[in-house]
Amino acid sequence: MNIVELDQLRYRWQGQSKDILHIPELNIAQGEHVFLRGESGSGKTTLLNLLAGILTPSDGHIRLLEHDFHHASSMKRDRFRADHMGVIFQQFNLLPYLSATENVTLPCHFSARRRDKSGDTEQSAIQLLDHLQLDESLRNSMVTSLSVGQQQRVAVARALIGQPEIIIADEPTSALDTGTRDRFIELLFSKAEAQKSTIIFVSHDPHIAEHFPRVIELSEINKAL
Amino acid sequence: MILLKLTWRSLWNRRISVILTLISIAISVSLLLGVEYIRKEAKSSFLSTISGTDLVVGARSGPVQLLLYSVFRIGNATNNIGWDTYQTIADNKRVDWTITLSLGDSHLGYRVLGTNQDYFKHYRYADKRLLAFEHGKPFGSVYEAVLGSEVAKTLGYTLDRKITLSHGAGATSFSEHKNKPFTVVGILKPTGTPIDRTVHVTLEGIEAIHIDWQAGAPVAGFEISAEKAAKMNLQPEVITAFLVGLKSRSATFRLQREINDYRQEPLLAVVPGVALSELWQSIGQFEVVLRIITIFVLVAGLLGMLTTLLSTLNERRREMAILRAVGAYPWQIFLLFLLEAFLIAVLGCLLGCLMVFIGVLLAQPWVTAEYGLHLRTWLPGWDDAKLIVLITIAAVIFSTLPALIAYRRTLQDGLTVKI
Repeated sequence: MNIVELDQLRYRWQGQSKDILHIPELNIAQGEHVFLRGESGSGKTTLLNLLAGILTPSDGHIRLLEHDFHHASSMKRDRFRADHMGVIFQQFNLLPYLSATENVTLPCHFSARRRDKSGDTEQSAIQLLDHLQLDESLRNSMVTSLSVGQQQRVAVARALIGQPEIIIADEPTSALDTGTRDRFIELLFSKAEAQKSTIIFVSHDPHIAEHFPRVIELSEINKAL
Repeated sequence: MILLKLTWRSLWNRRISVILTLISIAISVSLLLGVEYIRKEAKSSFLSTISGTDLVVGARSGPVQLLLYSVFRIGNATNNIGWDTYQTIADNKRVDWTITLSLGDSHLGYRVLGTNQDYFKHYRYADKRLLAFEHGKPFGSVYEAVLGSEVAKTLGYTLDRKITLSHGAGATSFSEHKNKPFTVVGILKPTGTPIDRTVHVTLEGIEAIHIDWQAGAPVAGFEISAEKAAKMNLQPEVITAFLVGLKSRSATFRLQREINDYRQEPLLAVVPGVALSELWQSIGQFEVVLRIITIFVLVAGLLGMLTTLLSTLNERRREMAILRAVGAYPWQIFLLFLLEAFLIAVLGCLLGCLMVFIGVLLAQPWVTAEYGLHLRTWLPGWDDAKLIVLITIAAVIFSTLPALIAYRRTLQDGLTVKI
C-alpha cells in the first residue's frame, strides 16, 4: 500500500507565473523510511506544507493513505493531520509551559483516534519517553530545562504517540552534534518500525543519507527547477 | 478542556506581564465600581440630610433656595416670616410639631441657628435618626449654645467655653455681639449633614443680642446688658423659616396648598424629599463627569490588555505553529486568545471587586468618625454584575484583534515558522 502518492503535483504562489514545485510522480510505501534531500529553495518547505495539508496544490493530485487529499476542505485536512501525522521540527518543538510528558500527550487531546490508539495516554507517553532513553527524572520537569537533544527526543515521542501512519521530520537533527544525531535517528527508526510508521525525513545534510534505505533528491524529482 | 488548560498554563508561563495586566484591569474596575458606589452613597447621604420633616416653610422664593438656606445653611433668605403667621400655622390642628429657624448670625464663619427645644426632639436625618450628644445637653436658657461636631472639633471648643456671635454670615464681621457671650453646653455627634457646621442657640438668644440693635447696627448709647436683656420679653417678631411635622403624612399636600395660598403673607411650603431630589438633579451633573472619567480609565485598562496580547503575538508564533502541528484547528487558536482575554477580564473584575470591598471596609470606621457618614458595606449588586459582564464582553471583543492576527498567521505560517 502506498502511503503517499503524488501525481503531476504543481504549486505556485498566488500572483506568480512560474511553478516552484512540479513533481510528476512520487510514491512512498507504508513503512518506508525516506530521506528527502534538498537545498534551501528547492521547494522542500512547500512540499512539506502540501503533504501536511497546510497548502493545497495548484494542480495535480495528492493521495495520502489512499484518500484524495487535494480536494479535502481545510477542516478535513487539519483533522487528517491530527489523526495520521506526527510532525517534528528543526528546533523548539515543545510548548515551554508544559512538562515533557504533557508535551508528548498533546496530540491525543486534539485527535480522538490517536487517543484511542494510545490506550492509557499517560502511560503510553511514559513508555515512549523510556524507549527514547529520556531519564525518568526529566519526565515531569519543564521542557526548557532539557538539552536540545533531550527536547528533540521528547518531540519524537510526541510525533509517535497514538501510532500515526506518517512521521514528517523537518531537519530535526540540524541542532544536534554528530553523535547525538546518529543516536537520535536510530531511536526514531526503531520506534517507527515497531509501530509501522512511515518516515519522511527532510534535510539538506547529505551525511544523514547513509542511514536511509531510500534517498530522494528533490532537485531530481522537482521539474519546476 | 485542553484549550482552557493550555490558556491557563500559557498565562502562568507569562505571569509577570499577565499579573500586571490583571492589576491594571482590576484598578480600572475598582475605580468604576468605586465611583458608582460613591455616587450612590453621596446621593443617599444628600437625600438623607433631612428626614421626618413633612414641610419646610419660608418666605416666598424658590423651593431650592428655601431648602439651601433652611437645611444646608447656604445663602440667605430674601425675607422673613412674621411670628403671628408662624403661630397661626403652628396652631393648625393637623400640625404635630414645629421647629423654628432663625438665621443671620455667625461664629467665625459657622452659621448660627436660632431654634427651639423641639429641634432636639424632632429633627431627624438619614434613616429617621435623632440628633445625639457627644458631650453635654440641649440648651436650657437664653445664653447657651450647642455646637455641631465639626465646629467643636475644628475650633477646639469644649463645654463651658464662652463664645460671641457676629452679625452676618462672614468669617470676619465688623459688628460682633461682644457684650452678650454664649456658653457652650452641648456638642453634637457627627451627622454627616450641615448640622455639623452649625452653632445652635435659642431663638430668645438671637432676640436678646439684637434687642439693642436697630436696622442691623447697634444703637449708640442705648446698650442693654445681657442680664437685663434676658429678663425682657424675648419673643421674636420674625423668624427665617420653620419645619413642620404633621400628625398624619396624608395631610401634607393639603397643608402645603393652604400655606402657599396664605393671604396675610406670601409663603412657600416645600416637601423636603421633593425639593432635595430637585436640588440633587441640578447639582448632579458631576455624576456624568465622574462616569465619563471612569469609562476612559476602563478603556485605558482594556487597551493595556490589548497591548500585552499584541506584544506577545510574535513570541507566541512558535507556540501556535506547534499547536497546529499537533492537530489544533485555526479556530481553536482563535479561541485560545479569546479565552485568555476572558480569563484576564474575569480575574481582573474579581480582583477589582475585592479591592473595592476591602477599600470600603477600611474606609468605613474613618468616614464614620470623621464625617458621621455611615457607609454601607460594598457588596456587588445587580448593577455591578451587569457592569462586570459588560467589561468582560468588551475585553473579549478587544481580544478578537490579536486573535484574528494569530488566526491569519497560523494559516500562513503553517508548520514551518522561521525563528
